[in-house]
Amino acid sequence: PYVVKREKMASVSEMYDVGWEEMRDKLRKWREDNYRNSEQIVDVGEELISEHSSKLGDDIWIIYEQVMIAALDCSRDDLALTCLQELRKQFPDSHRVKRLSGMRLEALERYDEANKHYDAILQDDPTNTAARKRKISILKAQGKSAEAIRELNEYLEQFVGDQEAWHELSELYINEHDYGKAAFCLEELMMTNPHNHLYCEQYAEVKYTQGGLENLELSRKYFAQALRLNNRNMRALFGLYMSASHISASPKVSAKVKKDNMKYAAWAATQINRAYKMAGRGTKENKCSMKAVEEMLESMQITMS
Amino acid sequence: GYVDWVLFLSSGHHGRGGAVLSGVCEDVPALLSVSTVQHQRAAVVVQPDRWRCVRDRLRAAASLPPAPGSHHSAGPHTGSAQVDVWCSQTQQRIVGYYQANACVSDSSPTPCALKIADKISEQFDNAVLLMLDGSKMSPDYRVPPIVMYERKDSRWMLKDKHTIMLRQWEETRAIATQLLESGDHTLLVDFDSHLDDITKDWTNQKLNTKIAELTSPANGSM
Repeated sequence: PYVVKREKMASVSEMYDVGWEEMRDKLRKWREDNYRNSEQIVDVGEELISEHSSKLGDDIWIIYEQVMIAALDCSRDDLALTCLQELRKQFPDSHRVKRLSGMRLEALERYDEANKHYDAILQDDPTNTAARKRKISILKAQGKSAEAIRELNEYLEQFVGDQEAWHELSELYINEHDYGKAAFCLEELMMTNPHNHLYCEQYAEVKYTQGGLENLELSRKYFAQALRLNNRNMRALFGLYMSASHISASPKVSAKVKKDNMKYAAWAATQINRAYKMAGRGTKENKCSMKAVEEMLESMQITMS
Repeated sequence: GYVDWVLFLSSGHHGRGGAVLSGVCEDVPALLSVSTVQHQRAAVVVQPDRWRCVRDRLRAAASLPPAPGSHHSAGPHTGSAQVDVWCSQTQQRIVGYYQANACVSDSSPTPCALKIADKISEQFDNAVLLMLDGSKMSPDYRVPPIVMYERKDSRWMLKDKHTIMLRQWEETRAIATQLLESGDHTLLVDFDSHLDDITKDWTNQKLNTKIAELTSPANGSM
């Protein structure tokens, strides 16, 4: 982790001609939408805290938390510590603040101390999910994937509705190339979130990766489903094109299946072309992309047939 | 021998990866983008060698077929296919692959990286595999943050550091630092971002123009 020394020639408020209220509102929006634009949060938050703290009222505490986490992302331990100290003063016995202390220790790679913090929280409150997840994050950071997976599975036995955890587990399995188990996690997510196009798309991608005719057909179906849920999902569109193309190229399929999949692939290709034409309107730069996509689709067809 | 490279952006999966190109020398450096832990981005700019150009043109290559058991979402395939076509249009070719792992302390090639590098070496004999060394990704680090692998006897072996020569490293480092300080690194678009929003230009012409300005001899600070 490194620190980029930015020579700030002007304050945020000067540069963007915003007042402190807009800065506060921006921070709130980023909080609510769960953005991780840490550099921006640090820029805006640091200025807000140092120059307008008295105006922020009770908002200041949640802003300290938000800025502290962003500061850790940017290796700004000075700022993180400042925020943390204010929070400790105000909420001396808080588990939430203790967790933040733990996160700072994690950022400094002092994992044993961080674990002690989380264990202390769990002693006091065994149902504290945040502390358990931080412990799993530490295992991940240390490269102990097998343990992280084991702990996360145990966690999910207790907290079976935690979607964030299911998704994290699917990613851990993907990193270990255990696609079967990753697919299982995504199936859980699709069951509880049938309208989420991203889960469908990711499931389709795992199936595509597993390969083999049966999995390719499943992947095509789920790419198509993702598109039904969101017709602007480009990954799903490309995925539909590729899975259908590969199925139609397989020597093991019947003439009908071959024909059907060629139709799906052709449809997808048209949609892709159309999307790129719309994207390229008015911008010279995107002509590259457009032409590249056209030729790519052509060349793919040649190899597929 | 040594490798001259213009680094180009393509998609990776976790962490980031990209294709290494060698190009006709337009003195237009391209940008290597990596994301280190926690969603930071660092940039290393590499300039093409002015004197050694690869004059080979690349035929419009077909996409890479899916390798069973490797995690390629459709993204990397279409990414490399698009890059292939773009290369042929701009007289460049893909000569390698780079990857930065999400875990900063681990710079070993993942199975996925090895598979992609294998595919590239089928098309180009002297393909290189570059792993980014996260611990060295800092603007004031003295040495290039890369670990280079070459193909020997169908395995990827660590290349002897002493046979690797990078041209214009200091200049490159200085440009990267400037881009980070001015915040221009946020302009970087890789293929993943492109798939999220296809109006974003994965050839990064805007950024390359800025880099060109920074490398022009008229810029006294260089």
